Amino acid sequence: MARLVLSRLAALAVILLALSAIVFALEAMIPSDPVRAMVGASATKEAVAAKRHELGFDKPLPVQYVRFLGRAATGNLSDSLRTRRPVVTDLGNFLPATLELAGAAAIIAAVLGGLLGIATARGKGTAPRLLMLAGASAPPFLLALALLMLFYSKWHILPSSGRLSSSITPPAGPTGLLVIDGLVHGRFDVVSDALWHLALPAFCLALGPAVALGRTLRSSLQTVLTQDHIRTARAKGLKERTVLLRHALRSALNAPLTMGGLQVGLLLAGVVVIESVFAWPGVGLYTVQSISSTDFPAVAGVTLVLGALYVVINSLVDLAQIVADPRLRAA
Amino acid sequence: MSTAAEAIEAERAPAVRAPVLAIRDLAVTFPGAVKALRGVTLDIAPGEIVGLVGESGSGKSVLGLAALGLLPPAATITGSVLLDGRQMVGTSDEERRLARRRYAGAVFQDPMTSLNPTMKVGRQVAEAAGSTEAAIEALERARVPEPRRRAGQYPHELSGGLRQRVMIAMAIAGSPDLVVADEPTTALDVTVQAEILALLTTIRDETGSSILFVTHDLAVAAELADRIAVLYGGRLAEIGPAADVLHRPCHPYTVALMAARLRGDSPRATMLPTLEGEPPDPRALPPGCPFAPRCPLAEPACDAALPEPEAAPTHDGLVACLHAGESAGARLRVREAPSPRGDPEGAATLDVGVPLGQKRGPTGATPHPGPALLLTDITKAFGKGDRRRAVVDGLSLEVPAGGSLALVGESGCGKTTTLRMAVGLENPDGGEIHVGPGGSPQLVFQDAGASLTPWLTVGEMLEERLRTDGLDAPARRTRSVEVLQMVGLPADVATRRPRQLSGGQRQRVALARAVAVPPALLACDEPISALDVSLAATVLNLLMNLRAELGMAMLFVTHDLAAARFIGDRVAVMAGGRIIEEGPSEDILTNPQHPHTAALVGAIPRFEAHA
Repeated sequence: MARLVLSRLAALAVILLALSAIVFALEAMIPSDPVRAMVGASATKEAVAAKRHELGFDKPLPVQYVRFLGRAATGNLSDSLRTRRPVVTDLGNFLPATLELAGAAAIIAAVLGGLLGIATARGKGTAPRLLMLAGASAPPFLLALALLMLFYSKWHILPSSGRLSSSITPPAGPTGLLVIDGLVHGRFDVVSDALWHLALPAFCLALGPAVALGRTLRSSLQTVLTQDHIRTARAKGLKERTVLLRHALRSALNAPLTMGGLQVGLLLAGVVVIESVFAWPGVGLYTVQSISSTDFPAVAGVTLVLGALYVVINSLVDLAQIVADPRLRAA
Repeated sequence: MSTAAEAIEAERAPAVRAPVLAIRDLAVTFPGAVKALRGVTLDIAPGEIVGLVGESGSGKSVLGLAALGLLPPAATITGSVLLDGRQMVGTSDEERRLARRRYAGAVFQDPMTSLNPTMKVGRQVAEAAGSTEAAIEALERARVPEPRRRAGQYPHELSGGLRQRVMIAMAIAGSPDLVVADEPTTALDVTVQAEILALLTTIRDETGSSILFVTHDLAVAAELADRIAVLYGGRLAEIGPAADVLHRPCHPYTVALMAARLRGDSPRATMLPTLEGEPPDPRALPPGCPFAPRCPLAEPACDAALPEPEAAPTHDGLVACLHAGESAGARLRVREAPSPRGDPEGAATLDVGVPLGQKRGPTGATPHPGPALLLTDITKAFGKGDRRRAVVDGLSLEVPAGGSLALVGESGCGKTTTLRMAVGLENPDGGEIHVGPGGSPQLVFQDAGASLTPWLTVGEMLEERLRTDGLDAPARRTRSVEVLQMVGLPADVATRRPRQLSGGQRQRVALARAVAVPPALLACDEPISALDVSLAATVLNLLMNLRAELGMAMLFVTHDLAAARFIGDRVAVMAGGRIIEEGPSEDILTNPQHPHTAALVGAIPRFEAHA
């Protein structure tokens, strides 16, 4: 177990290094001048040069990269060229919203995918399977628009944008996740309002991964259900429910867990679109705005944080697989 | 059917208590008109062990599952199966589940796959026993040492024998009246098999549970069964007291099975007696006696109608054969072919179009000086760090050119690793491997079905192998047909794919591919352990023939001492990664020197039906 954690930490360092190099190379190659963008078109040559020197943009690229790494290692991801605030501060402001949205989506995807997989494992439940497949095959923004039209415009059940109704003041801290903070402070009005706002965007984000998970779980369960140990469980006279949930499900978790880890990547990519549609004040919205103003420190910061998140979650998936299947513990 | 039922009643006369399992005229058909069982009637008395013997496809496992009410919903079932008076045919899933839970237990073939890999064994037993304490008690009754500690372990942490004891504990945990044991020892080593068979007998004696013991091996059934039932083509061929069926069989199939059985004293100079043909295809069964196409006594009347079981002429049981009286006598001759070591029959068909090098008998002069394979002090370890274990530990052996060496040992002794290193599939950590001239060694695996490419036809596979030999396309085609003939397959097999072939045919195809370009050394990894008795004998004969004709040396890895003795000029016994005894094959069984060899020899089932 300790070896696994160490090897994952090493992998995390390598991947972050690679990601930073890619982001840095992109920044160097793209023919836009962040300094010029900062100081404005009317600045004098001298002013530009002075600013360039101040920001270190006149040094050779390898030196710039090393300086960039050195700063990143100490938690300094430079200042955003657009917001003029440290990128770390910006991320601190926007990341909780995204984590809350992505977390809610992950929970919905796991529950929905699990139900779908179990319900359809024995050849039944064709209708829900087709329905979900149809939903997942629509691009997320289309799905989002359709759901907004129904639940917001037509039925007025769910809000269209934001994390919280403007009439409610969010509690201060400690996590920045409104549902959790609401619970901590006993502010149940915040909890329910936050959940209300989460419902649509989280569902739109979750549907694709849910279908992927469900299909993987389904085929995995179907394989397990033909295995000898299932026949043994039935021979014991166990109820079919027990056979399925206690014996088959755990043996069938490996592939869906792998799929779940991979889907996290898609989920994080989907955040960008969904946050734009629902005006969700998270990292996705921040990224879109940063890209359009060639704000490379911001883009680099987001990339590194989301990359780290991806690696950490997939390491947790590995761990979960080991918990689910004791045979992996010896390896 | 009334005669059969009456006869069974008569036969069971001493048993006054109601049978634990009463099967009446049971027929099971699977989708695709696969007739697995066609009217079988069988009773099991309280405390009785019935050995149900048959080849693969005979319907024996289906009968076991029917007794448990575990047949898949797609199966069409008629007749009646009463488990302690509860109907298991046509009743609801829930009724059958409750009957199963209350009255039955099951032990299946492979304890590794039959136990849930993700659940501690104690909990798995407790599911059947009702509580953890009852589970510990069941483990104790199944003679699992340190039951408390074992209960906290996962299946993969136990040895094969212990796993099967856990399965048995699970089967007996609910004090069932019937235990269905489906090939419970087939996946185990011979010494472990002997222990498990003894355990099952003890459990019957202690608890009075009846046991339906399903096996393909008459000798194993003989070890513990009170009565033996022989199944063929979904029909009961013969049933009677174990000693009678073994020693006074009167169905020609039972007679043939006894004759084809490879024993420790089968003459090595002649081919093994074999049954012609293969078991019937359950999708296309003949209207008459299913055994008639292979039966030396068959006459037109046999093909007219299914023979019903009637009182056997030689024992107290039943037999379904029009010629039951004659079969025990001299008229039945199982085919006895002349020795491959002398003047091989069918040499002309073996004489193929491509020069095969010098032909000679296995004991004759060798074409190349020096050994076909020489392993000197090889070592191999697997695992990392603390878990690193030597699997092969300073092993030396020699296979002379044209000679044959059988490498025998129990699972985990390192025999397969040795073979893999010998053919270059694995590199040794230390020591030297010298392969004689004449091209790379060829390999035949245990599971022929899995070693063939599913989407290629047999012809394509053979031609692919021949392409490496530089033959042009027409020559390759001619040659593949010749090779198929050589292994006793018709030419039209070339157009088929593996799944369209029977198990025996697949093993022949694997063999054909291995010898298509005759190698100097043929390495076989348990090629017969997955085959039924009569097919195993056929494959052994074929190997002996091919070896004599092609002048190949052979390294034959097996856990079966009798097969080793038959196929090997010399036999080497392996244990713990080393060779503990090596000698001429005749001596190993008759005069084993090492205690481990003696234990292996002692554990071979010997057809001594207990009283």
